Amino acid sequence: MIDPVFRNSLRECIFLLFLWLACCLYTVTYCYLAGYLVHEPHPNATGPSLGKLVGPLTAFDRQPQSLTTPLGLGVPDWVFYGVITPWVAAVVITILFCLYFFSEDDLSAERNEAGTIHD
Amino acid sequence: MTETSPATTITFIAYIACVFVLAALSHRLLATRSFLGEYFLGSRGLGSWALAFTFAATAASGGSFTGFPSLIYSYGWVLAFWIASYMVAGVCSMGVLGKRLNQVARKTGAITIPDVLRDRYDSTALGLFATSTIIFFTVCNLIAQFKAGALIIEETFNLPSDWGYSAGLIIFAVTVIFYTAYGGFRAVVWTDVLQGVVMVLGITLLLPVIIRQGGGMESIDRKLRERPPTLVTSVAGAYNDLVIQARGPLDTAGLLYRHPRRANAPLQIRWDAGVGAENRFIEVFLATDGEGQTTSTGNDVKRAIEHHPRLGTRFRVSFPYDNNEVVTDRFGHRTEMGATGVIGLDSHQSTERFVFLRGDEVLFGPGRSHRGAPFHPLGMAISFFFMWAITGMGQPGTMLRLMAFKDSRTLKRAILTVTGFYSMVYLPLVFIFVAARVLIPELNAENSDKAMVLVTTRVVGDMGLAYQILGAVLVAAPFAAVMSTVDSFLLMISSGLVRDIYQRTINPRVSNRTVKRASYATTVIVGIVVTLLATRPPDFLQRIIVFTGSGFAATFLCPVMLGLYWKGMTRQGALSAMVGGFTVMVGFFLPTLFGGSRIDLLGFHPNLWGLIVSFGLGFLVSKGTGPAPTHLVERYFYKLNPSQQGQSTRYGGQSRDDSSA
Repeated sequence: MIDPVFRNSLRECIFLLFLWLACCLYTVTYCYLAGYLVHEPHPNATGPSLGKLVGPLTAFDRQPQSLTTPLGLGVPDWVFYGVITPWVAAVVITILFCLYFFSEDDLSAERNEAGTIHD
Repeated sequence: MTETSPATTITFIAYIACVFVLAALSHRLLATRSFLGEYFLGSRGLGSWALAFTFAATAASGGSFTGFPSLIYSYGWVLAFWIASYMVAGVCSMGVLGKRLNQVARKTGAITIPDVLRDRYDSTALGLFATSTIIFFTVCNLIAQFKAGALIIEETFNLPSDWGYSAGLIIFAVTVIFYTAYGGFRAVVWTDVLQGVVMVLGITLLLPVIIRQGGGMESIDRKLRERPPTLVTSVAGAYNDLVIQARGPLDTAGLLYRHPRRANAPLQIRWDAGVGAENRFIEVFLATDGEGQTTSTGNDVKRAIEHHPRLGTRFRVSFPYDNNEVVTDRFGHRTEMGATGVIGLDSHQSTERFVFLRGDEVLFGPGRSHRGAPFHPLGMAISFFFMWAITGMGQPGTMLRLMAFKDSRTLKRAILTVTGFYSMVYLPLVFIFVAARVLIPELNAENSDKAMVLVTTRVVGDMGLAYQILGAVLVAAPFAAVMSTVDSFLLMISSGLVRDIYQRTINPRVSNRTVKRASYATTVIVGIVVTLLATRPPDFLQRIIVFTGSGFAATFLCPVMLGLYWKGMTRQGALSAMVGGFTVMVGFFLPTLFGGSRIDLLGFHPNLWGLIVSFGLGFLVSKGTGPAPTHLVERYFYKLNPSQQGQSTRYGGQSRDDSSA
């Protein structure tokens, strides 16, 4: 029979890789679009460009005067929504993951030098 | 020269004393347990606090408390984005491999990562390649870490520059080699817990003090934004710092130092008013002597700009240290500085370029280096999301800790603790060093590595005894971060030489007594060798740390991860993945050895390419050479009954720790 520790670990591994991917996509996209004063032109202007899908990225260039600091915390808006908010969400999901998704498997016994098995 | 307060000295000594006491306690415990398992893996008995702190403290190296603050100081809030993947780094780096790696290591009795690979793929060659790679990357990293440790002591205690570094290096080396060799893994773990607590405590106490001194984060942001465009240059050579500040709207791009490459060239300043602002640089043609060597000083450049008919009215030139050899800074400390030395632009390098940085640029991305290139472009942003969370999984030092915990519940609690630790250290560091840019404005790109030590010694140093003790704790934080990485790495090399090469390859029937002596001796000898290498350390500490961390991940993550989760992974696939990842990393960083830049193909960090090549080769070669041997698949992916489990241990129930005892 399939090792239950392998099965459960694989399930948790896939969940965590999706969590990482979701955080990566959100944070990189949001911070790049909302937090950069000047967006570089696409390096391969003659080939397929992201600009064809979402328009030229320079359209997202910000003016320094547009900066706000939500909740009066002194944190620039793009850092607040692009980093701190998903960070808090990731911590909450980590807690839920540990409480409800992570299985407390019995790890295999280990043999010590006397040949006896102990955990 | 800043003086060190008695509180700092006493707290620092007390901290070192604590480390020695922990080593002694650990050594006593060592006498009652199986030597190898205890010395290199703490008998797989780590509880959740110990696991969490040793994991986090080992990951937080000297870079976290010297290189990272320096980058925040230089580039501002974009570093929150740079470090953002730490939001999931704890849960990913422990949760993805932790439980399964621990189970597999228990199943085979493995006590090192090469042990795990050698058994999983039934290949001695793979184990030896893994050991060699670990030794290569670890020695590179240790030299940088020893340098960081020595510099922290030199800076903290203001030791004279002629012998301060050597003294700092000896103090650091003796401390860390002694407690690591004497106490082994458990001493390392206990000191990691102490060091982890010091880090969290230091940062948590420092945060409100710094924000209050800066007048609140809103006020700090405003002060940063309202600063006029400023160009700080510090070309090679002693004491040549210039600050060129625009008096009004910015109408030039930056400054070019040029070496004219001819004898008796006079100093000239050129500024082409007919060119657009983006292309308009202040050009400084340095003066040379009869042999063509540079003779211009920082003072000469200042005077030349001030006497220029147009530049003189548009720009204010000053020196961060008022151009005095000895000055008093805003905290009342006397600092030796000046701008009288000859500018060190040699004839081999014809041009140095510096770019103006507006105040608001530190509030946004992507940041600009003093050479004008974006600091954190999109390709790097994606790469760095891999860097901390994914690369973090592939570090043998942290994998080793995942083999040492007691049970699944321990791992679960440790994941929560590490997640909290990262949140309490890395985000507050961004706040602290954005504020430090306002409080200690005189640092520049070349010396901003001192930001952490200056914050801890100056900002809180003169605020009464309680704050002096806080300052001392904070000084210990980066020192603790360096020590907690160094001790783990020393043990990793030692285990590689004693366990993987000597015991498992050369002499499997070696006596327990010999193993014990060899382990102590190897740890000490490796420590001494690294100390000697660090007497002439390379520059660019953070670059070496990033190189070794990326190299470890590109070499080890694929064979370990796919070996644990994919039945089809073969020994050929694993070897190809390791060799491919290693080669890409070394190849992409090779130009830095010759003074060039690393290869960032398509704008992505080599770390990402190393992982892509490693996983690609691992998958494709395994597909081509598969299927994997049935006995290995059954052993690692199926639950065996107790009798089969006994047979599956290579030594048939005998300890591999003490097989000849």
